[in-house]
Order: sequence, then structure tokens, then C-alpha cells
Amino acid sequence: MIKASDIAKGTFILINNQPHVCVEREYVNPGKGSAFVRLKLKNIKTGSVLRQTNKVQDNLEDVSVEYKEVQFLYADTENYAFMDTKTYEQFTIPIEGEEEKRDFLKDGENYQVVFWEQTPIDIKLPTKMVFTVSEAEKAERGDTVSGATKVITCETGLKVKVPLFIKQGDRILVNTETREYQERVNN
Amino acid sequence: MEASLRERVTRHALFAESIRAFFQARGYTEVDTPALSPYLIPEPAIEVFQTKYLPARGPARPMWLIPSPELWMKRLLARGSGDIYQISKSFRNCDFGGPYHNPEFRLLEWYTVGVGYLDSIQVAEDLFAHLLDRTAPRRPASELSPPFVRLSMEEAFHQYAGIDLARCQDPQVMKAEGQSRGIKMPDSPTWEEAFHIVFLTLVEPLLPREKPLVLLDYPALVPTTARRRPGTPWSERWELYVDGIEIANCYTEETDPGVLRTLVRREGERRRDCRTAHAIDPDFADLFPPGFPVCSGAALGVDRLEMVFAGEKSLKGVILFPFSVILDGQSDTHA
Repeated sequence: MIKASDIAKGTFILINNQPHVCVEREYVNPGKGSAFVRLKLKNIKTGSVLRQTNKVQDNLEDVSVEYKEVQFLYADTENYAFMDTKTYEQFTIPIEGEEEKRDFLKDGENYQVVFWEQTPIDIKLPTKMVFTVSEAEKAERGDTVSGATKVITCETGLKVKVPLFIKQGDRILVNTETREYQERVNN
Repeated sequence: MEASLRERVTRHALFAESIRAFFQARGYTEVDTPALSPYLIPEPAIEVFQTKYLPARGPARPMWLIPSPELWMKRLLARGSGDIYQISKSFRNCDFGGPYHNPEFRLLEWYTVGVGYLDSIQVAEDLFAHLLDRTAPRRPASELSPPFVRLSMEEAFHQYAGIDLARCQDPQVMKAEGQSRGIKMPDSPTWEEAFHIVFLTLVEPLLPREKPLVLLDYPALVPTTARRRPGTPWSERWELYVDGIEIANCYTEETDPGVLRTLVRREGERRRDCRTAHAIDPDFADLFPPGFPVCSGAALGVDRLEMVFAGEKSLKGVILFPFSVILDGQSDTHA
């Protein structure tokens, strides 16, 4: 069992014997009465979305899942293809519903994939990842305003708002949840 | 473009200054009350911070950081302070994060003698107009300007959930209404739990967001110190929403010792749900003398208000040292 207050984005729970992943979690305390957690849950099998509100003390049934280290191979029009780094077994995960992860999948890079009853159900992204800037406009002379930014493109197609001093070929740390630039990484 | 640090520091100060100027011009007196208290109001949904006072002699005494200045401001009000306000640091523990919560935050409370909760809507509207004029918001003024939209809780339930709230005065009826609309309900909820689960799942996400919204006349079955509207199932209470975010809460204050004693006893019993139990203000039910005039109290989250005026999506955009950033050991302000 898992307490409602311990559920976070990415937590797996069982609702009516169906595995769901939490895609949004909001803590709501009306101040008067009780405190609640408002959840948006996606059914892993059907993709349907369920909204429910629980008291923070409620216990929910958690799902026993397995994490495997896998290598990202490629994406075609419908699926992401991965290889288990231990067994070299290849498998795919449908892109539908997971489109936003495309920008963070680098060919040949290792990721954690979540399995439930032998089925791959979710790709876990590290909170922060390093990317190489593949396209960046040169800063104009006179762009010295503090806090000014520009948008650059990384090797995966990921677009990020960065400070003006970032140039093509630089390596940058990006928060995969907020898609925000963190810092420049020294080579 | 994001606001520079200098802009943010200036805006932060201007916001508080402008609020003070507004209330001073209206004849309210600014007060300064304790943030550290040996007892609190029984509010079992709020987790608090506990600490200890170590006297030179004798045993240590447990103390709590206030989750709001209400207990002290009501003491002043009941003893004849007249109209008062303050912006106080308030503290709420066991916060689960998210963009609209910080364990330490600025809370504006104002109390007005001789008026009820509906009159306080006008004060909030005038405050918004004043702040629009003084603080140059980073969004269209029309999205924040008065008049606010007014919607009763009864209308909201009818409109967004198809539920006749006045007829749902029993927990099992409320539970059945939720279940019939596909909501997973607890087996034996209290009425307040069933109400909030339906409200938070079906109603609140659909509340109109084009203008500030006053949601008024909450069910009297939700335990608060708001006075009951005579002959109705509603209490004289409103909450203000901006962009769907709760910004303020206001009552016509209940001053009857008998009613308050019942509330203190019931809510006090529910403290077992809390991770940090606290001592209850022994005088809270008896603060107001007999015949005390009608009065209204409002509490408004200043950081949240600054956030929506600044067009920011998170309190991190306005609080100079957000709690999560302090915890991560970063000494710099959030950029």
C-alpha cells in the first residue's frame, strides 16, 4: 500500500485491478476540514485518464514494477525501440501519449524502463541530462541586458531557452521535467 | 523576458508597501502580533511547526509557529482595537510542494467591525484596483480588475456537477452523488470529506477563470468560525480565486461563545489526524464579549497575489528564497 501523500508524478498504483501511472499530483488544503491530494492518473493499458481526489491519509494499492537498464536505439513513426543491456533483447514502446519524451531520447544512451508483468510500460528520464547545442544563433553585439535569453536546438531536436552566451557545440544541463536550462557543462 | 533580481526585489517591496498604504488610507491600524505561540486555534487540516521555549529555570515549554495570525488579531479585535490589519509571516508544515505552496509565506489579514462578509468583497475589489494602479502588473489589467465574478457554492455545484447541494446534507447522500458521477468515494466519509472530494474533483477545476471569482456561501457543514446564515444551510464565507488559484478566504465572524465552544471541541478531537498535535487556545471560544458588533475577517495570501499580478506560474517567481531552493543548499535566489 502507498499513502496518498506519498504519491508523486510517475508513481504506479492499481485502480480496479488496472495499473495506472500518476501524471499530475496537486496537494490541496482547503484549510478548513481535511487536506487532499488531487490526482490525474493514466491507465497504462488503455491510456484513458482518470481524475480522483484522496485524503492525504488514504492508502492506495501500489503496483509492483521492475526497472531495467536499457539502451535507446531509435524511434520510428509509431514506436521507440530499446535494447535490454543485459539480455540484448529488443523491444518497443508506443510513442503515442509519450511524444514529449522524444526530445530527451539520445541514440545509444542508457535509460531506465519500467516493466509490469513483463510488459514495458514507462520510460524514466533522469531529472537532469546533458545535451549538445546543435543550432544556436550568434549573440548580437549589444545584447548585454541582464537575464536576456534565446532559444537553441540540441542534438535530439530539443529546444531550450538559454542565456545569450551559449553557443553551438556547447554542452548544457537541462531539467527534463521543466525543460529549463540549468547550466553550461565544461567539456 | 524574466524579471531581473533587482526588478523582483523592488516589486516584492512595492507590493507590501501598496497594501499597507491601502489599509492605512481606509483607517485600519496596522498591528504586529506573535509568530511564536504556546497554543493555536484547532485546525486539524493544517500541520504546524513545533519548537521549544527553554526558560532559564523550569521545564521546556512547547511552542508553535502560527499558521495564521487569527488568534492574536481576534484578541485585539474583541478588546476594542477597531479595524486592524497586518501582513504576517505564517507557517504551515508537511507541505507537499507544488507551485502554490511554500511552508513560510506572507499572509495579509484584515478585520472590519460593523460589516459582514459581503462588505469585505468590496474591500478586496478596491484593494485589487489600488494594486493595479500602483504595481503595474505584467498582464492585461482587465483580467484582474473589479468587479469580481460572484458565484454561490450552490450555483457552482448545480452548474458544474449537476448536484443540488442544498439537498445533500447527509454524508451518504453526498457520497452517492459523487459515485453516480464516476468519482471514487471513501467507504464512510464524513460529510465534509465527501463534499470536498466532489468539489475538488468536479467543481473547482471548472470554475470560470476569465476574471477574479468570489465563491460564496459555503456549506455550514464545513467547520469554520464563519457565522451561519440564519435559516439556511450556508455559512457567511467566501473564497477568492484568481486563475483558478485560491487567494483569499473571508467570513462574517462567529462571535457566539456557545457555537465556538462546540467548534473548538469537535475540531480539537480531530487533532489526532495531525502529525504534530498542538495545544488549543483556552480562551478562543470566549474572546468576544456579549453584544459585540458584527465583524468580518479576511485572510489573503500575499505571495500568491503577487504571483498572479506578476504573471508568474509559481511562487518561486516571487519569493526571493523559496523553501525548496534553500533546502537544496543553494545560496543564490531562485533565477
